[in-house]
Amino acid sequence: MAADTQLHADTSTDTHVGHGHDDHGVHPTERQYWLVFVALFVLTGLEVAWSYLGLEGVALWLPLLVMMTVKFLLVAGAFMHLYFDLKILNGRLFAWAFGGSLVVAMSVYVVVFFAFDMFA
Amino acid sequence: MTDVAALDNRPVANSYLATALDDHDDAHGGHRTSLGLSNMKLAMWLFLGSECLLFGALISTYLLSKARFVTEVVAGNPLVTSTMPAELIQEFAESQSVEPMYDIPFTSASSFILLMSSLTMVLAHKATVEDNGQNKIWLSATALLGSIFIAGQVYEFTAFYREGLTYTGNLFGSAFYTLTGFHGAHVTGGILMLLSLVYMAFRGKLRSDRAETVELVGLYWHFVDIVWVLIFTIVYLIP
Repeated sequence: MAADTQLHADTSTDTHVGHGHDDHGVHPTERQYWLVFVALFVLTGLEVAWSYLGLEGVALWLPLLVMMTVKFLLVAGAFMHLYFDLKILNGRLFAWAFGGSLVVAMSVYVVVFFAFDMFA
Repeated sequence: MTDVAALDNRPVANSYLATALDDHDDAHGGHRTSLGLSNMKLAMWLFLGSECLLFGALISTYLLSKARFVTEVVAGNPLVTSTMPAELIQEFAESQSVEPMYDIPFTSASSFILLMSSLTMVLAHKATVEDNGQNKIWLSATALLGSIFIAGQVYEFTAFYREGLTYTGNLFGSAFYTLTGFHGAHVTGGILMLLSLVYMAFRGKLRSDRAETVELVGLYWHFVDIVWVLIFTIVYLIP
């Protein structure tokens, strides 16, 4: 009986998330989409304003990179449904493969920067 | 104790289950996968992963060319003497770069337009899922906003070219045009996909059973938006 229940649970999960639609209430609402857009708009405005402050060095680029990263995460997480899809993907293997690949790729680029003496 | 093998010997139950699953999957245009994510969507994510590497390489090349720009401009230039102070050399190199040509308000407006197109894209997907007939409006709006962005990029490239920044003039110009040009080509590809969807929508062939197709094009579109988020900050705002 337990196996019976398990079978139904597994197939149900596979089927319901398999088509990738948001008809099961796991994706943002229209209001949330608008809020994300407003946040992106405000962040872009802040970025531009910050670039006009006449700052140099870390004081200039660090806040800009932070705002850029927040915008990146907002678009990827909300608009691309990545946050919700990663929640759907119960298997940690995929999440680790995705995150691990990202770390490896970033490391490769950092190594390239060092190889070409970019920070020298 | 009932095991899975025993369940496999229940033809009636399995037949019912299989039919139910097939009906459900057909209704949503997808099928079961062991990952819990449709194969098409997984394939799109893998494609976008490879695109990340492509744009990562292009951005890295741009940053490297930027770092070497001073050396490249100064080397063998008769206007620069060995006794010249480092600040003057840096100032001279900066005067030769594209940065003084940047029209930040104009590029900011372009960025805003591309961000807005991402909003209309998710609204198009939502309208397709809900099958409320508004997807053609949102898809058309997305394609239009993308076209405006491309028109802005063409204008910007033309202005830079007239200022003397050519593709083969120096390493910086090559890296800049390659990076932003590749992005523009991706946006153009996205516009073509969107126009295909608009055509399907106006012919009544883009109903809720094709929502995943809209979502896949949306993933691609948001990806080019994300790349622009990076380019805008790294190329335009950080000197």
